[in-house]
Amino acid sequence: MTVLELEDVRVDFAGEAGTTSALAGVSLTVAEGEILGLVGESGCGKSTLANAIMGLLAPAARLRGRIAFQGRELTTLGPREYRELRGDRLAMIVQDPLSALDPAFSVGSQVAEVVSAHRKVGRRAARERAVEVLREVGIPSAAERYGEPPHRFSGGMRQRVVIAAALANEPALLIADEPTTALDATIQAQILGLLRDLQARHRMATVLISHDLGVVAQLCDRVGVLYAGQLVELAPVAELFAHPRHPYTRTLIDALPGAGHARGRLPGLEGRVPDLADPPPGCRFAPRCPAAMPECATGPVLAGEGEHAVACWLDDTSRAATTAAVGPERSRA
Amino acid sequence: MSAQVTAESTGVVLPPRRRSQLSRLERTLGGRGGLVGAGILLVLVLVAVLAPLLAPHSPEQIDAARVLAAPDLSHPFGSDALGRDVLSRVLYAFRTSLAISIGSVALAMLAGVPLGLIAGYRGGWVDAVLMRPLDMLLALPALLLAVSLVSILGPGSFVVLVAIAVIYLPILARVLRSSVLVVRERPYVLGARARGVGPLGIMVRHVLPNAVGPVLVQATVLMGFALQVEAALSFLGLGAQPPTPSLGLMLLDGYQVLQQAWWVDVFPGLAIALTVVAFLLIGDGLRRRYDPAGVAE
Amino acid sequence: MSPRTAFVVRRIALTIPTLLAMSVFVFALIRLVPGDPVRSMLGFRATPENVALVRHDLHLDQGLVSQYVAWITGALQGDLGRDYVSGVPVSTLVGQRLPVTLELVLLAMGLALVVGVPLGVAAARGSRIAGRLAGGFVVAGVAIPDFWLGTLLILLFAATLQWLPPAGWAPLGDGLGQNLRYIALPALALAVGEAAYILRTTRGAMLETLGQPYVAFLRAKGVPERSIVFRHALRNAAVPIVTVVGIQFGVLLSGAIVIESIFGLPGLGRLVVTAINQRNYTVVQGAVLAIATLFIAVTLVTDLLYGWLDPRVGAEGS
Repeated sequence: MTVLELEDVRVDFAGEAGTTSALAGVSLTVAEGEILGLVGESGCGKSTLANAIMGLLAPAARLRGRIAFQGRELTTLGPREYRELRGDRLAMIVQDPLSALDPAFSVGSQVAEVVSAHRKVGRRAARERAVEVLREVGIPSAAERYGEPPHRFSGGMRQRVVIAAALANEPALLIADEPTTALDATIQAQILGLLRDLQARHRMATVLISHDLGVVAQLCDRVGVLYAGQLVELAPVAELFAHPRHPYTRTLIDALPGAGHARGRLPGLEGRVPDLADPPPGCRFAPRCPAAMPECATGPVLAGEGEHAVACWLDDTSRAATTAAVGPERSRA
Repeated sequence: MSAQVTAESTGVVLPPRRRSQLSRLERTLGGRGGLVGAGILLVLVLVAVLAPLLAPHSPEQIDAARVLAAPDLSHPFGSDALGRDVLSRVLYAFRTSLAISIGSVALAMLAGVPLGLIAGYRGGWVDAVLMRPLDMLLALPALLLAVSLVSILGPGSFVVLVAIAVIYLPILARVLRSSVLVVRERPYVLGARARGVGPLGIMVRHVLPNAVGPVLVQATVLMGFALQVEAALSFLGLGAQPPTPSLGLMLLDGYQVLQQAWWVDVFPGLAIALTVVAFLLIGDGLRRRYDPAGVAE
Repeated sequence: MSPRTAFVVRRIALTIPTLLAMSVFVFALIRLVPGDPVRSMLGFRATPENVALVRHDLHLDQGLVSQYVAWITGALQGDLGRDYVSGVPVSTLVGQRLPVTLELVLLAMGLALVVGVPLGVAAARGSRIAGRLAGGFVVAGVAIPDFWLGTLLILLFAATLQWLPPAGWAPLGDGLGQNLRYIALPALALAVGEAAYILRTTRGAMLETLGQPYVAFLRAKGVPERSIVFRHALRNAAVPIVTVVGIQFGVLLSGAIVIESIFGLPGLGRLVVTAINQRNYTVVQGAVLAIATLFIAVTLVTDLLYGWLDPRVGAEGS
C-alpha cells in the first residue's frame, strides 16, 4: 500500500537574485513499512523535499505538482488541516538535536505536548504516554527524568527525545532529515539501530534523508539519488550499490573509502554544484558529467525496468521514455 | 531620556532597495533611514550654526505689547511671557543644547575609548581595575547621577556637559571593550603580534579602527539622549543658567504659562523630539552598516 | 547546594560590593562640595554655635573613614541624619516619600508592559497594523522627552478638557479613585516612552525566538501556532525582556525626578531637587541613597527572576 506519492514536485523560491529552482520535478513513492533513503550533497534539495512533504515550506516558496499522503492530496490542504496531520500521522525528525528542543521546558513535557496537540486526553494520560515512548526510545529512568530540561541530556539522548516526540502518536510516515549527522560516530550507530528497531516494530513508512551513503546503505530498502533538485536514480539499495547506472551515483559510490580502488587519492569530481538561480537546462549534472552529450540539454526522464529507474540519456530505457515524452513537449528543465 | 536605552532597531522599516540603486552615501549611512536622519541632522546643525542669521528677532528683545501673543506671520512660534519671539529663542537655545549634547558625548568618547581599548585588549587585572569603577557608576540611574554631580559642582552649562559625559563614559567604554574582545582574536591582529608589533601599535593601528564601529553607533544614539538629559537638567534649574538660552529652560517657561500660551511649551519640545529622531535614524542606519552583530547595547 | 541556589547566593553576594561602592559615592557627595557645606546648609542660621553643633553631628571633625563608618552604620540602622532646615529626621522624610515614587514607577512600568508586550508580540507575528504602529510609535515614544509629554498631557487633560487635575496628590489612604486621579497623568507621561521601548524589545526578542530551530520542530510536531507563540516563544523571549525591564527601572526612576516636580507629587525625586536647590545636603544624601538602593534592589530582583526563567543558568554559567 502506498503511503506517500510524489508526482512531478517542483519548488521555486522567489529571492532577491531571481527565482531559485530548488526541486525540479521529483516523482517517487513510499510504501507502507518501507524505508526509502534520499541521498545527495548539500543543496541538492533533500531538506526542501522534506519540508514540502510536511507543509513547512517558507511563504516565499512556490510548490507545484502532487503530493499524496494515504491517498489524500496535501498540496491543497489548508494550514489548519495540515497542522492536524503533522505530529500525528506525518512526523519529522529534524537535523540538529542540540537545538531541536525548547530549552525552557522539560523533555517530558515536549513529548507530552505532541500527544495533547492531537488527542483529546488529559494531562496525566499524555504524560503517561510520553513516559512510555521515552522508555521505548531508550531513555533510562524515563519517569524520573521526565521533568528535566534538555541541557541535562547529551546529544544522543536528545535525539532520542526528538524521536520519541515524533513517534508518540504512531505516525504512518516518518521523515528523518539527517538524523545522525550532528552526532558522534558511536552514537550514530546507536541511533540508527534504534530507528531500525522502531521502524520494524511499528511498520512505519520512512523517508531517511542523508548525505552519508553509509548510513543509507545500512538502513534503507530503496534509495533515491538527488542532484541539484533532480532525482537522477532510484533503486533497491543492494542493486544501487552493485550496479549504479547514473554517472553521478557512480561517482558518489566510487568516492567511498574502501570502495575497492587502490590506495591513493579518492576519485572526485571536477566543477561545482550548479547555481540553482540559473540552472543548466535539462540534466543538471551535464556540466560535470564525463559522458555529457548534446542531448543532455533536454531533461532525461526517470524511467527503468522493474525496480531500478534512472534519468540519463546513457540508459536505454530512460532514453526511450524521454524521446517519447519530448515529442509533444519541449525542454523540461 | 536615559543612558541605558539602546541603539537597537527602532523598527522603522523603509522598503528595501536593490544594491545597485543605493548610492555610495546611502550605503555608508546604512540605508534610506540613515540618509533621512543625516539629512535632518544636517539641516538642524546648519540652523544651529546660522541661528544669528536666521532668527527674525533678537531672542532677548522684550516687547511688553506682545506678551503671550499667539503665533502669527511675524512671530511664527508666538511670543513668551516677556513678549520675546519664541522662534528666535528656540533657534538660539537649540544652539546651546545641541552643542552641549554633542560636546558631552564627544568628551565621553575621548575618555571612554582609550579606557575600553586598553581594558579590552589587555584583559586580566588591567581590565578589572579599569572597568570596575565604571561599572559602579552604572549602578546609579543616569539622571540621578547627573543631578548628584551637579549638586556638588553647582549648576551651569559646563557642569552639565561634564556630568553627561560622566554618565555616558561607562557605556561607551563597555561597548568598545566588547568590540575589542572580538576584534583582538581576528587573524590580522594575531598576524601583527606574530610579526612582533608592539601592543600600542596593535591597539591603535589594527584593533581600534576595526572595533570602533559599534561605539560610533552608540555615540550617535547617546547624543540624542544627551539632548534630553540636558533639557531635563535645565528644566530643573540645574543646567544652563539665564541669560544663557536652553531648550530645557524654555520648557520650564512654557510649563509656567501652559494654559495661556501653549506655544511656549510646544515648540521647544518639538525641536528636541525632532533632533532625537534624527539621531535615532542615523544610529539605526549606522548600526546596520557598522554593527550588524549588535555589540552596541 | 544545587546550581540554582548557588546562583542565587552568588547574585545576592554580588550586590554587596555594589551597594558599598554606591554608598561611598553618596557619602562623598557632601564632602566634595566646594566651600563649607554646613554653612550653605544652615544659611542664615549659620551661627558659630550651630555650625559647630552640626559639624559634630556629622562627625566632620573626625577623619574621613570614621565619618563614613559612622554614617553607614547609622544608615543601616535606619538613621539617615537630620534635615537641618526643617528639623525632621531624614529617614522620616524618605519614608513618607518613598511610597509615592514607588507607586508612580510601578504603575508606569505596569502600563508600559500591558501595552508594549502584546503589541510587540503582534508585531513580531507579522500583524501589519501592529508593525506600522510599532515603527512610528517606537521612534516617537523614545524621542519625546517624558517631562515634555507630561506638560502636553496637562495641557490636554487638565487645562483643556479639565478631566484630571494638573498637579497635586492624594495618598492611597484617601481612596483609590482619588489617588488615581492624581497619579494618572504622571504615570502616563512616563509610561508612553517606556511602552515604546518595551515594544521594541519584545518585538526583537520574539523575532529572535521565533527564528530558533526548536520552533521549526514544534511546527513539525503539529503544535498549534498559538501555543508556539505564547507558551514557547514568549516564555523564552521573557528572559531578555525581564533584563531590559530591570535596566529600565533606572530610567523610570530618573524620569520620576522631573515628573514629580511637574506634577507636584511628594516623592523622592522632587525631594532631591528641592533639597539641592536649598543646599540641604543631608537630605540630598539620604534621598539619593534611597533611590539608588531601590534601583539596586530592583536590579537584583530582575536578575533573580531572569535566573528562574532560564533553566540553563547556573549550569553552564550565567
